Amino acid sequence: MIITKKAIPRRTMLKGLGASLALPLLDGMVPAFTALRDTAADPVRRLGIVYVPNGMMMDHWTPATEGIGFNFPTILQPLERFRDQVEVLSGMHGVDAEGPHARASTRFLTGVASQRDDGSNLKAGISMDQIAGRVLGQETQLATLELAIDGRDFAGSCDEGFSCAYTNTISWANDTTPLPMENNPRAVFERLFGDSGSTDPAVRKARLEKDASLLDSVTDRARYLSRQLGSTDQAKLDQYLEAVRDIERRIQMAEAQSERELPVVDQPAGIPDTFGEHTKMMFDLLALAYETDLTRVATFMMGREITGRTYAEIGVPDAHHPISHHQRDPVKLEKLMKINLYHAELFAEFIARLNSTPDGDGTLLDHSMIVYGAGMADSNSHYSGDLPILLAGGAAGTGGRHMQHEPDTPLANLHLSLLDKMGVPIESLGDSTGRLPLETLSGV
Amino acid sequence: MKSRNLSLASVCGAAVLVTGVLFSAPLVSAPLGLRAQAQSASQAELLQTTVAQYCVTCHNDQSRRGELSFEGLDLSDVGQHAAIQERILGQLRIRRMPPVDRPRPPEETYEVLTAWLASEIDRFAAANPNPGRTEAFHRLNRVEYANAVRDLLALDVDVEALLPADDIDANGFDNMADMLTVSPALMERYLSAARKTARLAVGEAPLGPAGEIYEVPILLIQNDRMSDDLPFGSRGGIGIRHYFVVDGEYDLAIGLHRNYVNYVRGMGSSHELEVRLDGVLVRTFTFGGEEPDVLQAPASYGGNQFGDPAWEEYMLFADANLRVRFSAEAGPHVVGVSFVRKFTEPEGVLQPRQSVFAAAINEMRDGDAAVEHVTITGPYGPGGPGDSPARRAVFTCRPTSNTSADEEACAGEILSSLARQAYRRPIDEADLRTLMDFYRAGRNDGSFDAGIQLALERLLISPDFLFRVEHDPVDVAPGTVYALSDLELASRLSFFLWSSIPDAELLDVAERGMLQDPAVLEQQTRRMLADPRSKALVQNFAGQWLYLRNLRSVVPDAVTFPEFDENLREAFRQETDLFVESLIRDDRSVLDLLGTDYTFANERLAEHYGIPGVYGNHFRRVQLEGDLAERRGGILGQGSLLTVTSYANRTSPVLRGKWVLTNILGTPPPPPPADVPDLPDRGEDGQPATVRDRMIQHREDPVCAACHAPMDPLGLALENYDAIGRWRSTGQANLAIDASGQMPNGTEFYGPQGLRTLLLERREQFAGTVTEKLLAYAIGRGPEYYDRPTVRGITTTAAFENYRWSSIIVGIVQSTPFRMRRSES
Repeated sequence: MIITKKAIPRRTMLKGLGASLALPLLDGMVPAFTALRDTAADPVRRLGIVYVPNGMMMDHWTPATEGIGFNFPTILQPLERFRDQVEVLSGMHGVDAEGPHARASTRFLTGVASQRDDGSNLKAGISMDQIAGRVLGQETQLATLELAIDGRDFAGSCDEGFSCAYTNTISWANDTTPLPMENNPRAVFERLFGDSGSTDPAVRKARLEKDASLLDSVTDRARYLSRQLGSTDQAKLDQYLEAVRDIERRIQMAEAQSERELPVVDQPAGIPDTFGEHTKMMFDLLALAYETDLTRVATFMMGREITGRTYAEIGVPDAHHPISHHQRDPVKLEKLMKINLYHAELFAEFIARLNSTPDGDGTLLDHSMIVYGAGMADSNSHYSGDLPILLAGGAAGTGGRHMQHEPDTPLANLHLSLLDKMGVPIESLGDSTGRLPLETLSGV
Repeated sequence: MKSRNLSLASVCGAAVLVTGVLFSAPLVSAPLGLRAQAQSASQAELLQTTVAQYCVTCHNDQSRRGELSFEGLDLSDVGQHAAIQERILGQLRIRRMPPVDRPRPPEETYEVLTAWLASEIDRFAAANPNPGRTEAFHRLNRVEYANAVRDLLALDVDVEALLPADDIDANGFDNMADMLTVSPALMERYLSAARKTARLAVGEAPLGPAGEIYEVPILLIQNDRMSDDLPFGSRGGIGIRHYFVVDGEYDLAIGLHRNYVNYVRGMGSSHELEVRLDGVLVRTFTFGGEEPDVLQAPASYGGNQFGDPAWEEYMLFADANLRVRFSAEAGPHVVGVSFVRKFTEPEGVLQPRQSVFAAAINEMRDGDAAVEHVTITGPYGPGGPGDSPARRAVFTCRPTSNTSADEEACAGEILSSLARQAYRRPIDEADLRTLMDFYRAGRNDGSFDAGIQLALERLLISPDFLFRVEHDPVDVAPGTVYALSDLELASRLSFFLWSSIPDAELLDVAERGMLQDPAVLEQQTRRMLADPRSKALVQNFAGQWLYLRNLRSVVPDAVTFPEFDENLREAFRQETDLFVESLIRDDRSVLDLLGTDYTFANERLAEHYGIPGVYGNHFRRVQLEGDLAERRGGILGQGSLLTVTSYANRTSPVLRGKWVLTNILGTPPPPPPADVPDLPDRGEDGQPATVRDRMIQHREDPVCAACHAPMDPLGLALENYDAIGRWRSTGQANLAIDASGQMPNGTEFYGPQGLRTLLLERREQFAGTVTEKLLAYAIGRGPEYYDRPTVRGITTTAAFENYRWSSIIVGIVQSTPFRMRRSES
């Protein structure tokens, strides 16, 4: 046996030295860019979706009373210190109240209930984060950021009759293109700040120019190939061209913003050993991306749907998915509860970080809307009737309440309202039936 | 490309005919002959009456059970309803339908109908071949990208750091064209990967020193020689294949394992630690065994008490100076860090092996010191690109002078050759012009090498490299079946067998238009199978088919299985890898996967399995006899499979049974309902129940039984293996394991040997499963009903060769779906 960098990943991880990429120090840790755009009257808003897998222990999630002044149930307690910035939304619902795990993750942001298919076809719908990114991405280097904890390197089926693509992501570029989510902090870092390892603006600029000419050239080639194809064969090449255009756009943006200063940050070495460390690092990178205004829209799966992750670090050596089919066994319920609570604690740390980061006349949290929730209520029965949904941050004018919405209110209705708040109004999304009245709630 | 389209357009129709005759012959001559055709009419009638009598009760327009209605269908009209007929055939063949608690036709009807349906469908398919359509743009997946770079540039890149993994489809493979999408994030990774790869290949000096840390997991017990790359007589440490980017000086630093209060382990005795470069000793360090006994250790190791400062220093900083600077030449080299083994045993009571929690916290002053990580940093000082294998592969010429004409001539030669291999086709002027433009841009900014480097970057992000392209011949009518071009076929073949680009010989044969010749195609297939690169079939096909890729992420519960360490995980992987490879290399029967009289083991694995007489850490072929052959002969007895089909803290007969149904018998059960009632963990008498007793409910409740009756017994037969594959005779609550099983049709069997016999009785079904999976893997799309005749044909033919791997692989390569494609309709 030789242990190379590849021999036992996860454990024998190749790591860089974790050296700081000595980007120029930022004045007061506020992006210089902020001054141009981010005014008190019209702050830059950030949208984030944090997804947790395998349902939720709803008994310990849903507050007993409606409106303001509710008691935070056990799972939500880590968030109690941000009471005024947290709104719990009950009654949110998907298309069918029951459905497999793959549908829970796919439907979460698309409003489209995916169907079983034993072949290798993919079909859902565009997700709300991508809609937001199309517009907001015109002002940032990255239109959207997709993050995950789980890798995609495993064998076997995920959910019967579904490609793993359905459970590995909540983000879809269109109805046939699921977007992979990145789980390696190093790769996320390089996506945000580049991989040149150099601090010299001249080096970075030269690199950007080279990239631009490389991309120009492949675009020409792809267009040429595209002319030789029939219409159905175009799809993949269109994805390629779309991706190339996206990077070209980013390069233009980066060149225009090349005078911007970025904070000094530690370059992550690789994937940390434990779930907790890994999650914290991903949340840190996400906060950093918001803070530096490299993107305003992000999605993060704290676990892929149907994940069998074990949580030995909190005394749960059992696989998450099997125990989420708890069959009302008190031992399993208790373990499930620990997992749900652990996730909420990690999320609360992220909220705390946003809350302590100044942004314009307030904090990042003031100017964010972060959805936290699961695509299933009860994994045991695959029930998705009353989803666990929480909205953190002040950008939507919400907070401090537990809102009981009409039963059968599609989750996509919330997305329409959030998109309104982000300045990206659209008519409908998947199974949406209208907008969720967020505005009328403010000031209650 | 132009000439190919011309030739195709002219031979297209002919090719179809020829193929129909040559390759579908076994299908036509399948079980039934002319006499049978005469009976066809009566059998068609039998089908209609059987369906009307037994099936329509549920499968009608109202109920539509299984989303299927037979009402108003003339099922005897083959070709019209091939999709439904295949479903019927599949259910009848395994006797799953009608359900056991419903009226069922007599056994004879099953036999007659399955034989007749198969032959009718196959006859129709032979006359109307349908190769299906793999998407025109088939992106290279991560493994294929790495292999292509390896074969193109003689460079092993760390692809897991460069690119994300790819999604697997519902059948478990990550090389399916439809799944291999492109996103902006992925495109950025390709851009970055191209940059890093080109930099390494050309050997551009980095901006400054950079470092890489190689960590050794704490649960990798370092009590033996750890690697074939480490010297005999060594103990512990790590053998690293490090890529030195340029000629130069490099720093190596070693960190040692520490206990929870940060004291270096094993300081009670002296250790010699060696650093070697390609086996040559660079430096020997000694440490430990010098504890000054006048000094006080802390009264407790609670972490809040301290010993004398000198003692603390001795225990804390033993590895502070384990660093050495040495010079290395550019390219891959083996860096070995290991202890010199001491051939003495400690006195006193033999201590149990420390593992898990204990390994993490105990003082272990008297134990072995162990390497925790090795850091290699560099280069320091000026260093040239040297003479790495990658440079030898890239720079096939050097400019004879500094004139731009000479340089351009050489650049053109280099880039033409690389582009032809990378794009897997002859290149045209436009291809070369593009690359030369980038060469010139790079040359203007720097050197000749920099020009080649930039052109290489462009090549590595080209759609011609990143995608396998198959497109319809010009002017072909929609929905026409046509033969792939020689070049398209060459790529299919090399990506199937090697997960990589064609080599020079295959490309030559294809360019000369000879690959469509069945004899040449077979000869190339056999040549490529014999090549070491066909190991890709083990790593990618078998790795996914058998779920072995999950082995690296399983986390057996440390409390239930303290014995599980990284050495065992690695041994499981090696065993199955070597085993499957030996089957393919020796061209044995695929049936041998289920049972042989040999396996591969090292000491750690042999100890786990109870195989005597295996010493040392290296793997060797081990002959199995008697009980051991029954227990460990074949994949069903291997720790890898048994562990990945278990939960962290217990076995799961359901998971194991499902694995057998899905991957061996090819009849995956439908998904379970969500809210299944609990299986009580105590019997009616209140006593703890065995897994078997608890699962009786699966068979008694008719709702459960439909799926569990054929599934659970398969898994229960393997109950003698615990969740990490150890043999046991008692299970939960120390109750004896009963590994007997009964299939729904009454067949009784016992234990792994009984299961093996049962499965081998269905050898045709098993071979069919392998063939279907391998075909999907080969053509990059999920199996469809119209592939079934091909699968049956290959399996039937392969039976004459006892299902040798080559008979199935050659059968696939020569099949309609592999060699042909349907134009866009």
